[in-house]
Amino acid sequence: MKETLLLTKHMRENPEDSHLIDIYEKNNGYNAARKVLKENNPGEVIEEIKDSNIRGRGGAGFPTGVKWGFLAEDQERYLVINGDESEPGTFKDRILLERDPHQLIEGIIVTSFASNISKAFIYIRGEYAKPARRVQDAIEQAYEKGYLGKNIFDSGKNLDVVVHLGAGAYICGEETALLNSLEGRRGEPRLKPPYFPAVKGLYNKPTLVNNVETISSVPWIINNSGKDYAKLGVEGSTGTRIFSLSGHVNNPGNFEIEMGSSFGEFIDTFGKGIKENKSVKAYIPGGASAPWFKGSQLDIKMTIDDVADAKSMLGSGAVVVMDQDTNLVLAAKSIVSFFAHESCGQCTPCREGTTWLEMILDRIASGRGRTSDIDLLLDVCDNISPGLSWPPKMTTICPLGPSAVSPITSLMGSFRDEVESLLPKKVLINNE
Amino acid sequence: MTWDTKLIEKANEIIELYPQKRSALGPLLYLAQEKEGYIDDDSVVEISKLIGITEVQVRSVASFYTMYKQEPTGQYLLSVCKSISCEINNSRELINNIKEFTGLANNETDEDKTFTFEEVECIGACGGAPAVQVNYETVEGVTPTKALELCKYLKEEVPKVIVADELQEKFGGVKSFDWGIEDNSGTSSTAPGFQIIGTAEEK
Amino acid sequence: MSENIKFTVDGKELEGQSGELLIEACEKSGIHIPRFCWHKRLEPVGMCRMCLVEVETPRGKALVPSCTTEITEDLVVDTESEIVTKAQEGILEFLLINHPLDCPVCDKAGECPLQDQTMAYGPGESRFVEEKRHFEKPIPISEVILLDRERCILCARCTRFSDEISGDPLIEFIQRGNKTEVNTFPNEPFRSYFSGNTVQICPVGALTSTSYRFKARPWDLKKVSSTCNCCSVGCSIELNTSQNKMLRILGEDNEFTNQGWLSDKGRYNFDFLHSENRVLNILNKSEDSFNEISIAEATVKIKDKINELDNPNIKFLIGSHSTNEEYFVINEVANYLNKDKFLSRDSSNVYFSDDLLFNGYFDDEYSKAKLEDLDSSETIVVWCEDIKDNLPILYLRIKKAVKNGAKLIVFGHTNTAIAGLADFYFGKGIVSNKFDLIVNPSEIEDLKNNTQGKKVTVIAGKSTVFQKKESLDKLINYLNESSELKVFNSFSKGNTFGALQNIDEVKGLNEFCNEFDNDAKNIVFTVGVNPVNSSHFAQPIKEILISSDFVVSMDLFINETTELADLILPTTSLGEKEGTITNMEMRVMKQNKILPAPGSTLSEWEYLTAILNILGGDVQYRNENEINSFLVKEYKDQQQVATFDNLNKPSNLFGVINRKEININTKDLHEDTFSLLMVRRLYGDSSTQINSPSISMLGAERFIELNSETAKKFGIKSQFGNLVQGSNSILINIDINEFLPDGLVVAPINRRGFENVDPSKEFEITEAKNREELSVN
Repeated sequence: MKETLLLTKHMRENPEDSHLIDIYEKNNGYNAARKVLKENNPGEVIEEIKDSNIRGRGGAGFPTGVKWGFLAEDQERYLVINGDESEPGTFKDRILLERDPHQLIEGIIVTSFASNISKAFIYIRGEYAKPARRVQDAIEQAYEKGYLGKNIFDSGKNLDVVVHLGAGAYICGEETALLNSLEGRRGEPRLKPPYFPAVKGLYNKPTLVNNVETISSVPWIINNSGKDYAKLGVEGSTGTRIFSLSGHVNNPGNFEIEMGSSFGEFIDTFGKGIKENKSVKAYIPGGASAPWFKGSQLDIKMTIDDVADAKSMLGSGAVVVMDQDTNLVLAAKSIVSFFAHESCGQCTPCREGTTWLEMILDRIASGRGRTSDIDLLLDVCDNISPGLSWPPKMTTICPLGPSAVSPITSLMGSFRDEVESLLPKKVLINNE
Repeated sequence: MTWDTKLIEKANEIIELYPQKRSALGPLLYLAQEKEGYIDDDSVVEISKLIGITEVQVRSVASFYTMYKQEPTGQYLLSVCKSISCEINNSRELINNIKEFTGLANNETDEDKTFTFEEVECIGACGGAPAVQVNYETVEGVTPTKALELCKYLKEEVPKVIVADELQEKFGGVKSFDWGIEDNSGTSSTAPGFQIIGTAEEK
Repeated sequence: MSENIKFTVDGKELEGQSGELLIEACEKSGIHIPRFCWHKRLEPVGMCRMCLVEVETPRGKALVPSCTTEITEDLVVDTESEIVTKAQEGILEFLLINHPLDCPVCDKAGECPLQDQTMAYGPGESRFVEEKRHFEKPIPISEVILLDRERCILCARCTRFSDEISGDPLIEFIQRGNKTEVNTFPNEPFRSYFSGNTVQICPVGALTSTSYRFKARPWDLKKVSSTCNCCSVGCSIELNTSQNKMLRILGEDNEFTNQGWLSDKGRYNFDFLHSENRVLNILNKSEDSFNEISIAEATVKIKDKINELDNPNIKFLIGSHSTNEEYFVINEVANYLNKDKFLSRDSSNVYFSDDLLFNGYFDDEYSKAKLEDLDSSETIVVWCEDIKDNLPILYLRIKKAVKNGAKLIVFGHTNTAIAGLADFYFGKGIVSNKFDLIVNPSEIEDLKNNTQGKKVTVIAGKSTVFQKKESLDKLINYLNESSELKVFNSFSKGNTFGALQNIDEVKGLNEFCNEFDNDAKNIVFTVGVNPVNSSHFAQPIKEILISSDFVVSMDLFINETTELADLILPTTSLGEKEGTITNMEMRVMKQNKILPAPGSTLSEWEYLTAILNILGGDVQYRNENEINSFLVKEYKDQQQVATFDNLNKPSNLFGVINRKEININTKDLHEDTFSLLMVRRLYGDSSTQINSPSISMLGAERFIELNSETAKKFGIKSQFGNLVQGSNSILINIDINEFLPDGLVVAPINRRGFENVDPSKEFEITEAKNREELSVN
């Protein structure tokens, strides 16, 4: 098993100066943008993307070409790049922003052309100050060259790009919350319907919201072809993907691979095995929102559909490995605390429920649990995500609340003993 | 403190970047964060005038986001990640060490305004867990011992500009990925260093 | 256009309109879905999740909020499935885990949606053993409102109201997630003319009114529907009393008028009813003091006085707080005294106390506007006194219309408060500082483009007593010729239109002063008016009353006007009398009685019939209903007359529109110079307001407005100063308002200290050094 370098090729080959426009151009950079603006019409570009079958890399996995095709007609349309990467375990956008900003800008130019957009925003989480600086430098270089601004590449088209810094709110990774945030509002998810971004997005105008990784893939697809891209990976999960590997592995990092190999293989090959040669107790296949797999499930294939069939999700492509000695109650509590902290507070079940779950887990973890707490935990979960099924049903506007349920159902489903061992034993009293 | 002409000019430049004034609210709040170390009431009033919304609307937005501080901060904001990858890689011990060194509990600032300490959720450095940010400059693979050294360094050397690469070299360990590019940029306030808000600084 | 569609709820087939929200469509068919955040006058947000129902989708059943889901053809809905009931119970448990158990001392208890829905849909017990969320209880967020954040369930009704409806978002969500709270900004209280509405729509006891706090249990309240008489919009209200005390006024949702909302003046201006300062016995002046006499003695005294003075001039100075029935009787008495009894005069002798009264646009050539016309207008044109201050709920309707796409055109200089809302604000260069239209309306391109051939509603009236009618005529006649125009005459005071409808001829205060004959014998009746306090004519009227031979005042209080009377007849007020009133649309609505008349007070009509009888008239009205049966005969439309019976029919609870002849006879003021624009503010120093403790301080601030250029000319740099005119000096706050033209200074007419300011004379503004000087003095 080895990496297939599409998005990370340039940065690997030019480790010290991949961020400079001259170096990027020396390596075929901006040719996709130049070609498209000179030779193509927008419809052709959208077709190329559709041919690639690339699905959004933000977590939801919606086909990108289809999304572009949905964008409603309007004089005023916007492109917003979602660089609010905050899903625990995920750091793949960070490398793309930091080490190959021009690839993203080129993707933005092509995407904007395809969708007849002249204003794009890159929303980068505030904690990514350094990556944001890199992108801002790169944008300034691109303006100087005439690749951004008025009449780009002498095409008669205009395009302005603004980097907008987030300020510490995971929920802004949700696209409608991100739009609220970009409008200078609280990052609360909007109602869908009626606020589908493609129809009523930024300033209520049709807006394309795409992930950094998705748009960074666009130049390769244009330089090669949608069909070539579709040949990579497997059906339903074409192309390459950058997986972020962390936790108890010897060699954590970002690895760009074609989807389709197993998690076990991935962890062994790139993670170089588990620290201190321990075994895997559990792992998270797709970021903190995803239900966990057990150490005995390492043969599941890393594709969107395989993971879904196994009742979890590939999500943001973040694999977190927990070894045999991990205190899973504390691990679950860490994730629940995360969601409680990041709940926007709009919906009652998420606002109140996630905090309540955190309190109960805290009680259990510190030895103050009650025997009834397991039922209580599960029932509170059920009131956030009825039926505790996968994909989750929701009593909330967005999936943040149900995400807090994932670690608990995982814990209770596969590691119930571990929880029970922290609780007082049930005493059976003979009443007769 | 009210804003001087220079700052208002800067604010208006930022407002110009957006189709609607209100979008500039976030960056404008960072201007206040840089200037005062937190979002003080006077800045809220200034911002509300600049973008034409009420003071409480500004406060409502500011208080939603954790990076806009509602209390004055110290010169160095120490943010230690406690999310899953860091949690299982012993961020607790690191947190305890910093607490002990600074004498601060979560979200506290010391009296001489040197440190503000906070436990934070995922900062996207999971491969380099446990990770710390100083004024939003990331240091990865920080051991509990190195964390103490980092604090000592800040306290004793009092560097003006915080640069991730420098701290990483001195106090960091395993990284999320090869940082590659040499970088001297950073920030000198508790607002993230970023060109548009004028907080990016070279060492 | 919406069309009829069929959908199924709980196995029953229902009909609704396309575009309708599921929660509303169900409600119409008698299926109640519980809810907290949804309110039919606010944009849905789907936040509380209480109204979740199951709908069938191509991918199976899904839980959706019924407040954000529009009905569609063949939609299948389950509101009672196991999963729905479980979800509802779950939501209530979540809401209750942090809700304090202080129901016994909560004003809302007994009429609390959270209590009621917990009873109906909630869990029987709590499984929450942790510490509840704590906040300081309660904190004042304005003079009239307290906030208890522990009780708040974060439904965003108050924040949405203040943002969407009233447009003064001073209350907002602060923090996020589980720490979210509602609050105001420090030193920026929730000072809105409409803040009380948030108390009414709060589904828990988080927002409470200072005036009602701890006053009653809801189940002890006696309630009756009525109509507010604070301005001429005529909002539908519910009066709540207990033990013969008015405790609360709520807005009723009248689709045609207030749509549930009230101004805080309308809501909180009632404590005066029980003020110890209220006059409860007939007072007769002898020497310099008043002594109590009986009604029999009083009527004899009036009769004797009329006879003794031998054919005196008898004039009526009337106000806007009487009912139509009372105006009808005033008219009868006035006619009797002038024409029938003495046969010496044929001119009218009734004067209406409103500085801004003019002849109006009542002829048949002008179509009369209704409030609902604003919703369908393409353009709304405003040129009149300050709407937000004088017709607050009309302001909300205009704001709503603008939100829905109507263009708003505002002519200066009094409506600067809505200038920000306007598409076009025509101030300096179009309207002179003397309120002449300097430009021919047909030459104002933006006006032309937005009115010609379009549906236009104009709200027209004098902006100042100095304004010439001709300037308004120019605009209104232009619009009337070039557009589909409907006209509101913006007479803003209480039941002005009732007075105009029921009195044969109405004149103004200018006429009252001009027609007064000092050489003759004079008797003046004042009926519920206090022009000596806040009118441009205050000084001459005061002199007239002093020099009159006999003055009879019917009123609630001893005030600047009634203290000059020889006889004070204490009258009844809101909730103490029954009758009809007519709003600015000519909608006739019912006022109902729920309180006994206190002390020896009588209603105006009772005094007037007694006087009429003792003078030889033979009218015997036994009650308001009888008077009403006479007055309705003159309504133009006899199909739908506004009798008490008719108005009590469910179909007419919102009032009925009916017109009568209107005859106003006023002339423009001749004075040409004026230097100060005196305007009426919502809150002021009326006897009722200063005797209502919860709002008495709201009218205390003294201030002027001018633009920065004018401020410079006066050499003012600070926010504080003195308005100096002769020996009169008032300490003032100085507010900069850039919508004002150069040279124009605006001051309130109904604030303490301004009663002696003469707007036609020169004045100075000097700087005060600081706020301390302001408060010390």
